Amino acid sequence: MASLRVLVGCKRVIDYAVKIRVKPDKSGVVTEGVKHSMNPFDEIAVEEAIRMKEKKLASEVIAFSCGPTASQETLRTAMAMGADRSIHVEVDANQAEIIQPIHIAKLLSKIAQEEKADIVMVGKQAIDDDCNQTAQMTAALLDWPQATFASKLEPAEGGLKVTREIDGGLETIQVKTPTVISSDLRLNEPRYATLPNIMKAKKKPLAKKKPEDYGVEIKAHQEIKKVEDPPTREAGQKLETVEELVTKLKDGGFI
Amino acid sequence: MKVILKCTRNSKQILKRFHSKDAKNLIKQHTEISRDHLTPEIALHLITQNCQLWHSHPDTCPFIDPFWAFYWPGGQVLSRYILDNKELFEGKTVIDIGAGCGATSIACSLVDAHHIIANDIDNVACECIELNSELNKTSVTTSAVNLLGGNDLECDILLLGDMFYDEITTNTISDWLDHIGSCPTNILIGDPGRHSFKNHPMKNKLEKVGTYDLPASCVSENNGFTYASVWQYRPS
Repeated sequence: MASLRVLVGCKRVIDYAVKIRVKPDKSGVVTEGVKHSMNPFDEIAVEEAIRMKEKKLASEVIAFSCGPTASQETLRTAMAMGADRSIHVEVDANQAEIIQPIHIAKLLSKIAQEEKADIVMVGKQAIDDDCNQTAQMTAALLDWPQATFASKLEPAEGGLKVTREIDGGLETIQVKTPTVISSDLRLNEPRYATLPNIMKAKKKPLAKKKPEDYGVEIKAHQEIKKVEDPPTREAGQKLETVEELVTKLKDGGFI
Repeated sequence: MKVILKCTRNSKQILKRFHSKDAKNLIKQHTEISRDHLTPEIALHLITQNCQLWHSHPDTCPFIDPFWAFYWPGGQVLSRYILDNKELFEGKTVIDIGAGCGATSIACSLVDAHHIIANDIDNVACECIELNSELNKTSVTTSAVNLLGGNDLECDILLLGDMFYDEITTNTISDWLDHIGSCPTNILIGDPGRHSFKNHPMKNKLEKVGTYDLPASCVSENNGFTYASVWQYRPS
């Protein structure tokens, strides 16, 4: 199989272990002073791209992120894992608030063409907005085949054999390259970056770009009305007998 | 020997600012002696997978970017090439730029090079090189002065092991080699195919003189590099 160029999208999100707090004015969630890290599904995508490079299926892994300056930390992490270089499309704080999957998809499709990528790989969704749209939109914009929710990738004639996680089981499909892949949770277990690799990553090339460089306008397509905490669960009751339970259920109109 | 003498004196001036003994103790404390590399003839103090710092973040590391604590693939193949081609180095004066852990310089000493300057702008690297040189009972002079960019270095051989990790450094070295003058007569480079080296126009002036498979421990840590090559600078 020819050596492939892989473009991987990495989103900087609030760390999965952080307790999310809603802003008092309900306009969004508190991000200031909160630990951020790479979206875990994107981490899986980066890992898979690096494994492809290690197996000599891929010749180059390019990491991409769009976000504020701090997104560069996310790209350094991707390079510490093994990506060769990265592209940061920087947006200001206001733009970062309104950025949506369509913007990322437009940027990814432009960069994929510019970099002559054979595979665009992203996480199936980001753990902050749970959109699950970027891979699909990118494939549509590029008019490339897509293989979403991948749990296994294998080289195949002219492309890739992809095992997908679907309702009720697994589906195996074959896609031709160029293609867009989105990674599911079980695709792999990402590596931890080691000290020598973190040091090397500091030296790897990181190109700084603006959305305008790719002719993409960051414009809100939707308005956030309000963001609220999920309702707190009410306390339960402990019942001593089955009879008591039946009575309660009858009273509640459940039986 | 004019340049060499000057360098040695300057490096001592720089070293005055910190206690050499403390640095050496810290190195011993955080590294282990390893022969798990392409030149097992050479024992080296390295941060390996068995060391706590290997898994640490740079923010919690007592050393600032300890490039000297790792035996990079380009350095490994260059040192292997030296040990396998003794006749090219015997009796020669050698400058090893970005010497790091000092393995390449030590290899030169093992094949009876006459005078070896291990040059690294990190003072702690120079301490580590001294420790490693002592460990292998070799004779290497360290220098922390930036020799990169100097003209007519008074040496026969210039060594560049895994120096092409970023584009700026690669361009700087490429320009330097174009204007380096008649000395040194032999310039050797070790590189695993790093991004900024692989497609650099400088490659047209290089001839590959050796390729070596990297050992498993090195492959596992270098995402995709399974071999590395030694190149000789031969401008037409």
